[in-house]
Amino acid sequence: MQEHGQIIVFLFTSAIFALVMALVLTRKITERFAILWMSISIFLLLASSLAFRYLFLIARVFGIPYPPSALFLIVIFGLSLLVIELFSWVSMLNERSRLLAQQVALLRDALDRHVASQQDPARPPA
Amino acid sequence: MTMGARVLIIVPAFNEAGSLPALMNELKKECPGCDVVVIDDGSSDGTREVVTGMVRVVSLPCNLGIGGAVQTGLQIALREGYDLAVQIDGDGQHPPRELYKLLEAQRTSGSDLVVGSRFHVAGEGYKSTLTRRMGIRLFSFILSAICRTRITDPTSGFRVMNHRAIRVLSHRYSEDYPEVEALVVAHRAGLRVSETSVHMSERTAGTSSIGSFKSLVYMLKVPLAIFMDLLRKPEIKFHD
Repeated sequence: MQEHGQIIVFLFTSAIFALVMALVLTRKITERFAILWMSISIFLLLASSLAFRYLFLIARVFGIPYPPSALFLIVIFGLSLLVIELFSWVSMLNERSRLLAQQVALLRDALDRHVASQQDPARPPA
Repeated sequence: MTMGARVLIIVPAFNEAGSLPALMNELKKECPGCDVVVIDDGSSDGTREVVTGMVRVVSLPCNLGIGGAVQTGLQIALREGYDLAVQIDGDGQHPPRELYKLLEAQRTSGSDLVVGSRFHVAGEGYKSTLTRRMGIRLFSFILSAICRTRITDPTSGFRVMNHRAIRVLSHRYSEDYPEVEALVVAHRAGLRVSETSVHMSERTAGTSSIGSFKSLVYMLKVPLAIFMDLLRKPEIKFHD
């Protein structure tokens, strides 16, 4: 990669790294995802500088005639894994919020019945 | 009715204020010994208000869908030690006078889960769209093969469950389009599933939750969910 290209990639990945750090500090993303994004920025940094020469080797192994396409392939693969990870988190959070909503409804029912039994002692308590 | 058994009738309801009062009155008349709980699934039409004072109402803070609502009712049945739980739709399609058929079928067959079928007796007339009938027939074929018993109406939400089925389904109940999948979960847990014939009415108010696009999603989601359930190890397993 040409020198100015490497500088752009370096600045880009550094910006991602700084953004992730800022989001973790303000508790907008958890450490779990922060580690993931930091790993991605470090990987991009390495892929664009130190490991760039290996890209030709990887492209040859996979039979890709245009070496930069190998980088796109690796990045798309990594982002696909990330999206799958996010889907699994959304599914888990959906399940948890369902459980919470059910528990809230049951607690409210128990409270309503308890209050009703206090107001009307003839009524059985919850 | 099933002698001495404590029965909880679960009525999941989403915006069913128009049909619920009549249904509650009929339930009181037809099933005087049963407890009724309406699970208000985040309705915005005053569903809770129209039945408060008539029966017990449990209001979910947001709309969870039919699966979440029914599961909440099953959790109440489990927690409060009911022998049987009956699921009956809040739209008036399941006449309470047919309930005794379900309870009687459960008592005589000893099944853990009995489904009220619109199509169990050939020629019995329940009008439905062609696509829906085709879907039901497809699921009926798949379910009958899996459960090794004749299931003609797997999408019916008119069903009775004993304490074993309550335990299994209160733990795991699909979020959307759950009826068909619940039968597979029950079967995989070692429960006996059967069917009995009932009459059903057209809905008295409100609109169906399944439109044309949702029908397509339904047709894709349910077979996938069945396939996945067959691959999964059951979380609760009864060995008779």
